[in-house]
Amino acid sequence: MKEHEDKEMTEHEMTEHDDREIRETLKQSFPPVNLELGRDLWPAVLRKLDAQPIRVPWYDWALIALSAAAFLFFPKLILLFAYHL
Amino acid sequence: MDLHRRFALGEIDAFETLVRQFQGDVYSWIVRIVRDPGVAEDLTVETLWRIYRARHQFRPDGNFGAWARRIASNLALDHLRRKRPEESLLVEPAGAPQPDGLLQRETREKIQQAFRRLPAKLQVAATLALVEEQPYDEIADALGTSVGAVKVRVFRAIRILRKQLSQLGVRPE
Repeated sequence: MKEHEDKEMTEHEMTEHDDREIRETLKQSFPPVNLELGRDLWPAVLRKLDAQPIRVPWYDWALIALSAAAFLFFPKLILLFAYHL
Repeated sequence: MDLHRRFALGEIDAFETLVRQFQGDVYSWIVRIVRDPGVAEDLTVETLWRIYRARHQFRPDGNFGAWARRIASNLALDHLRRKRPEESLLVEPAGAPQPDGLLQRETREKIQQAFRRLPAKLQVAATLALVEEQPYDEIADALGTSVGAVKVRVFRAIRILRKQLSQLGVRPE
């Protein structure tokens, strides 16, 4: 993708200044935004961290259950598993 | 032990120090892209939360600011993708300074409308490069791509905008 885009770039032999006309139009169309952060976001980040403890997804639990069942019904699998570790 | 290493190990105090150090930078980058202070604050919190969750992937000898900006860019991009083109990209609160008196309100709205229809990737590159005049290498770094690729996106955005504006009967100044 990157290579394709780089190639296209060369083909068009673009420069950063070719787009002055549209740049001016866009700058006139868009109101400037205030870049200053108005408040400290740490309390909000902390609340989010507390609210969403890291959970083990269901498919991990399913994998653990399947492995446990396999080892229970076929104990020799433990040896095979240990050999490959 | 240095701050980055302590953060990577999950020390919340180290993370707090980094948040206080970089939250302004992350916010200003996001608000440049989404152009809505309320949305930008929410996305900044989301970015910082994701940063903490991804702390194991952070190399302590790496550049935390650049890493944070990349995560922020991805979230801002996702936000633009989710957003329908009909929704307003540019919130103009009452009493907000108007960009320039040269363009009529109707023309400005048409240009904004055409801009909102751009694919999110092109919209981000064009906003940062043309409206915010950020250096191409910084944009490329934040978007995780090459400078050439950013230039191509800007070029494509301009090409599409020209076509759409001409269909809307607007001619760039």
